[in-house]
Amino acid sequence: MDIGTISLIVMLGLIALLAIGMPLGFASAVLAVAVLVMKFEPALLTNPMSFGDGMLTGRPGTGALNLMQNKIYGLLTDYVLISIPLFIFMASLLERSGVAKTMYDSLSMWLNRTRGGIAIVTSIMAVIMAAMSGIIGGEVVLLGLIALPQMLRLGYNQNLAIGTICASGSLGTMIPPSIVLIIYGLITETSIKALFTASFVPGFMLASFIIIYIIIRTQIRPQDAPLPDPVPGDPVGREKAGLFFAFLNVLVIAAAVVLCARAGFIEFSGQNAANEGEPYSLASLNAFFKLAGLAAVALGVALFVFGKERSARGWKLGKGLVPPIIVIGVVFGSIYGGISGITAAAGMGALAVFLIAVLLHYTTEEWVALARSRAARIVMIASVVLVIAIVLPMIVIPNSTLKSEMRFMIIAIAIFASILRIEAMRELLWDALLRTMKSTGTIIWVTIGAATLAGAYTVAGGPNYIANLIIGAELPTMGIILAMMLILLFMGAFMDWVGIVLLIIPVFLPIVRRLPIDEIGFIGQLEPKNVGIWVGVVFCMNMQVSFLSPPFGPAAFYLKSVAPAHISLTDIFKGFLPFIGIQIMALSVLLIWPSIVEVLL
Amino acid sequence: MPPKSGSLWEWVIPMTFFVCASWVVWQLPAFILDWIPPASESLYGQVEAIFVRSDIIALPAIFGKHIDIVDLLALVMIPVTLILGIRTVSRASLESENFRAIDKIAMFLGRVTMMMIVTLTCVMLYEVFVRYVVERPTLWANETTLWLASFVFLLAGLYAMQQRSHIRIVLLYDAVPRNVQRLFDVISTLLIILFASATVFGSYKYVFYNKLYKWELYGSAFNPPIPATLQPMVLIVITLVAVQAVINLINDWNLDPADLRTPEVDEDEIEAIKRSLGQDVESK
Repeated sequence: MDIGTISLIVMLGLIALLAIGMPLGFASAVLAVAVLVMKFEPALLTNPMSFGDGMLTGRPGTGALNLMQNKIYGLLTDYVLISIPLFIFMASLLERSGVAKTMYDSLSMWLNRTRGGIAIVTSIMAVIMAAMSGIIGGEVVLLGLIALPQMLRLGYNQNLAIGTICASGSLGTMIPPSIVLIIYGLITETSIKALFTASFVPGFMLASFIIIYIIIRTQIRPQDAPLPDPVPGDPVGREKAGLFFAFLNVLVIAAAVVLCARAGFIEFSGQNAANEGEPYSLASLNAFFKLAGLAAVALGVALFVFGKERSARGWKLGKGLVPPIIVIGVVFGSIYGGISGITAAAGMGALAVFLIAVLLHYTTEEWVALARSRAARIVMIASVVLVIAIVLPMIVIPNSTLKSEMRFMIIAIAIFASILRIEAMRELLWDALLRTMKSTGTIIWVTIGAATLAGAYTVAGGPNYIANLIIGAELPTMGIILAMMLILLFMGAFMDWVGIVLLIIPVFLPIVRRLPIDEIGFIGQLEPKNVGIWVGVVFCMNMQVSFLSPPFGPAAFYLKSVAPAHISLTDIFKGFLPFIGIQIMALSVLLIWPSIVEVLL
Repeated sequence: MPPKSGSLWEWVIPMTFFVCASWVVWQLPAFILDWIPPASESLYGQVEAIFVRSDIIALPAIFGKHIDIVDLLALVMIPVTLILGIRTVSRASLESENFRAIDKIAMFLGRVTMMMIVTLTCVMLYEVFVRYVVERPTLWANETTLWLASFVFLLAGLYAMQQRSHIRIVLLYDAVPRNVQRLFDVISTLLIILFASATVFGSYKYVFYNKLYKWELYGSAFNPPIPATLQPMVLIVITLVAVQAVINLINDWNLDPADLRTPEVDEDEIEAIKRSLGQDVESK
């Protein structure tokens, strides 16, 4: 059968199967079988009795149909894929870790006397959370629970409140790390690190558009965002600014000390001398002294310019921002500091979030009280564990070089076991694991189905045929791209992003790659090797719109589930309108000035 | 208040199952050599060489020449923990309430998958630690995570099938009468069976003979038997998924459309987030 007919049948078949409610992954997998049959043994369709004669059915247990199993195997052994469950795991831990609440309290303190302050805080908080997690859903729920009641109580315009929460809450997949970009990178074989780097600027651009919109709107219509009554005793005006800088200064001290310790460790443990590849960033002896100097200067500023008391107060007001900063530092430090790949960075992030969740479970006072009341027991157990950790390896593996590894494992297991003695932490871990497994199963099996379909379709020569068809039509370049955007926006309104990235991008990307590159965009010139990255970021921006667009915008349903009963779905979608406009504006910037993705590359 | 989950036994039983199953999978060449030995001399020698190299505890064999007491014990523990686990597994707070006894198989395998996620995270963090702090990277950690993760991906799909959480579009499905929905379900299930049988038909010989029986290794320094175990597993899980699809069809046959409707959001999840934020949210 010729490829034109096959393409048409696949498209119609997909629409029909999806319409009857068949799961997306299985619908694609069945169509993959159909493509193979149509390509290699069409006789089977007209004459089922010929089963066993043709290319596919002639040799049972092996042959062309083995493509299915082979594609699945190839996908499953892709190391990058492991980062997906780990990032989901991290996000599920994050949602319940209490990080959001402390961060919100801290942020709103700094901005509560600013016009539209709570809305701005909501956006900033969403950006910070987006930099920690790569999925949406939990974020919208958290913001809806924390910020929405507050904004409504202060008398904020309902549409403004709703739109801010959902538009900012959707940023999770636009600002790296992002699961959308990971899957995109996986199926298009684009570097995920490059995709992350490229999406920083567009992501922050979209976030700043949202914040600018809030500021302008609340300045023009102050009644949309009434100011709360001042709380006596809270710092105001310049005092607050002073406290904020004092807080930043404390952060500088902490960061300089940590980086300095790292540089010192790397230098003095001889890793720099042993390193033959690229030098570690910020880890030379020179950097060690510079960082130590910076820490000392900042400490001096804290003590003598701001004063001890002001620094302490600034720290107390701002410390809710520290856990997210640590998590972001761990994840991006791992990716960009050369420590590890995306996958290990996700694992490190999950560990960091888990430990922070444990620490935030009790307040500082409660921890101190707990430690006091059980001091004897804690000391006893800790010393027993230490003795075991020191002695046991000497007895069990006296001649091995793995003693320190074994010691580390004993201590790690002891710490983990004592953490799990807290019931809430056990539950947190259990629930997070359950959610991780469920979301992983749904995402991966769509990927599995789509991988088989893409494999079968490519064997049949499909993508080439489509690309030739479009290029041969000699349409204007930007016209083709605009048409693609419309298709993506339309599909986004009905379908989950996973389905779109897996079914449509493999068709679109080859087309874009073959378009004349100097005709893409109006300002600046994209480098040919970055076309795949640009398409990924543009796709991600499209999906931002899809989270908000009726009738299935997932953000709306998440917000509805936590909003007061009098807010209907229609109200929520009405609140989205200006924000969808903002997202489309950001999308147009990406189309007009494509090399914006190359700013940081 | 949803039922409490995550008690000690709910951790221990799946973990034991997982440990025993991994042991047996690792020692599978012993069972192949003793129970279904290859007729060809050279293949026998090949598999035996691999087995001798990877045998962790070299105890004297009790059956034939290769299976020792630990292997046998692990093999016996698999069905024991499986049955125990299936009998004791209970609905967790985030799970669908719609299940029967037979669904508990998929649910228990889900618990095992959770243990695998914990294990793989720990292995990965261990590798990061030894590479950057002790500076003695392991050979085995990266490939072990890969191996574990691939099993997680497969089994998570079975669990998602049982929970009916696979992504689908219900625009038309929700609008049609119940009898038409039943027809749609039957078509979907038949097509899933078609896909599963085509995949199994297309590769069973290749996978079970060329990969599993010949115990093909990954071809790296650590050389785990990833092709030998994962490729058969793909076929096994796809078959299980198809079986689960049939079970789902039977379970859902008499349900009301209202109970069938997939919620846009997970209510239990939102409850859990609310709880984690504490009391002050409830009062607002």
